[in-house]
Amino acid sequence: MEYKLKIREETVSVDINSHGENSAKAIIEDREYDLKYSLISENELHLMVNGKSINAYVSQTADGKTIMLNGKVYKIQDEDKIPKGPKKKKGASGPSTVTPPMPAVVIAVTVKEGDPVEKGQGVVVLSAMKMETTLCAPYKGIVTKVNVKESDKVMPGQILMDIDPENIGPENIDEAKEEKVAALET
Amino acid sequence: MFKKILIANRGEIALRIINTCKDMEIETVSVYSDVDEKAIHVLSSDEAIYIGAPEPSESYLNIDKIIQAAKESHSEAIHPGYGFLAENADFAERCEQEGIVFIGPSAKAIRDLGDKITSRKIMVESQVPVTPGLTNTEADPDVMAKEAEKVGYPVLIKATAGGGGKGIRIVNAPDEMAEACASASREALSAFGNGEIYLEKFFTNARHIEFQILADSFGNTVHVLERECSIQRRHQKIIEETPSNVLTPQLREEMGAAAVAAAKAAGYVNAGTVEFLLDSENKFYFLEINTRLQVEHPVTEMITGIDLVRQQLEIAAGNKLSLTQKDIESRGHAIECRIYAEDPANGFFPSPGKIEFLKEPKGPGIRNDCGVYTGFEVPVEYDPIISKLVVHAENRPQAIDKMKKALKDYIILGVRTPIDFLIDIMGSTPFSKGDIYTNFIETHFSDWSENFDESDIAAIAYVLDEMCNSKKLITGISGYNEQMPFSTLGNWRL
Repeated sequence: MEYKLKIREETVSVDINSHGENSAKAIIEDREYDLKYSLISENELHLMVNGKSINAYVSQTADGKTIMLNGKVYKIQDEDKIPKGPKKKKGASGPSTVTPPMPAVVIAVTVKEGDPVEKGQGVVVLSAMKMETTLCAPYKGIVTKVNVKESDKVMPGQILMDIDPENIGPENIDEAKEEKVAALET
Repeated sequence: MFKKILIANRGEIALRIINTCKDMEIETVSVYSDVDEKAIHVLSSDEAIYIGAPEPSESYLNIDKIIQAAKESHSEAIHPGYGFLAENADFAERCEQEGIVFIGPSAKAIRDLGDKITSRKIMVESQVPVTPGLTNTEADPDVMAKEAEKVGYPVLIKATAGGGGKGIRIVNAPDEMAEACASASREALSAFGNGEIYLEKFFTNARHIEFQILADSFGNTVHVLERECSIQRRHQKIIEETPSNVLTPQLREEMGAAAVAAAKAAGYVNAGTVEFLLDSENKFYFLEINTRLQVEHPVTEMITGIDLVRQQLEIAAGNKLSLTQKDIESRGHAIECRIYAEDPANGFFPSPGKIEFLKEPKGPGIRNDCGVYTGFEVPVEYDPIISKLVVHAENRPQAIDKMKKALKDYIILGVRTPIDFLIDIMGSTPFSKGDIYTNFIETHFSDWSENFDESDIAAIAYVLDEMCNSKKLITGISGYNEQMPFSTLGNWRL
């Protein structure tokens, strides 16, 4: 059986074949691994890899699994299970929406509806676990709607503010339009 | 001794205090907010009282509610832990007025020392060396710039109130002064309700060394040796150890004596910490006194065998210190790593969420003061500290090896932690040589990134987990249906 796995940005192909009860052989590129394994609990896996004992710890996440091995964290996805969403525009740098990078609480909204904003201008101040961060306007425009207020709890992906782009050059008009749609959907 | 005390804190430090109380057969009362209904301190104490909404101002920082909870539960004393109300003079004063013992120094000592200007003045009068800089607050950036010229750049703009790395800016050149003053002041105002700032010299190659002190109300003050706390990120410590590898017995004695003098000058009673900067020529300067139990107190406990929380309780109950300076001896070496819910590969950004799986390291000389458990949701409202991993061994190299092993055995899934980052620090040459200054992370680890040297094994683990779980699911479902009596009983009602 072959799995195509995504670890960070790289795709790793794992060819694995069962050899009876709890034993298998895996090939990754030209490397061969003789495996014996047992599931200790829902999150613990004990492996014998080429005769060497290894404990791996696994948790399911929304888009794959997190594996912890010898203190290191590996985020892995099955390429066949990654939903095919719209790809990010090439050459787009930095964030394109006003959305928090982690769950947080709104400390302040520094602009109001109708305000013009410059690209990179701070618009929302968030606090997560006592650390403050400022979210910036991803492009120049006019604030058309503020979706949050002070002390609201916010989650990644949630769009906190709609900004109508202005002075759009022909090269990024599509991106800006897309942005507006995304903002309207929330 | 008290029969019952209330702990006005949460998480690992509340549990730490509860543990000593249990040793001493003192009953414990916890307080909790909405998001902490299932927090470890609630589960571990004898009683728990709900005090309000998750925002600290509605619960853990709400003096009225905490006093009310103490009265309701007939608690004789309140232990504030660290953070929250621990260094709030108004709270200590209120406890005094209400006839509840505040387990910590007097309101006056907290007030004097909490204000960095007052404390600098007290130290100057008592001939304790302080860092060069202002002994008054200053709002005018131009005056700040003049003082900066006098002491030499770089300088620190510091809030006179608070701590924990808030309201501090480093200024390297005159043109950064105005912005640094404004933002330090703003941050201080929002964090401590006081935007006043002052200036002191910033030492780029300095160590942060602090002395634990214990003082009773009969005028006896001792120091319980030093802690080396130079390794910091965002002005917040992440690794602490004791003893310091640069203190000679003579320097230790001098700094210890200065720490005791500083505490006495401030009229300090209970456990506290005198922080010093030690420059590259081994000259030391007083920074501040932390009027609380420190986060990193366990390393001191490990090498001295003294339970600092027990000492705090004895002192607060009006007992005389049972220790004299010559009773305090150390043995071996201890290191602490703070395990935060944060992402070291992404600017140490907080990483709140649910702990999907937790396995604590075990073995001789390993202590883990942990405030979470499998299934617990780490709230976004509070400090990101999950636990403090502490090791104790015969000497420094052995302690480093033990810490590496303990970190590798520490499994936390569901939130990101800096465990991999800490393993790399433990394994680094500057750390093992003891070349540790407050700029350690910037100097040696600013471009750190995760390395994936065992990604083959991780990929194999992924696949095997997938195979095991799909098998379990299939056999599990058929077995379940056959054995469940309810599935063969047909429809019936209760």
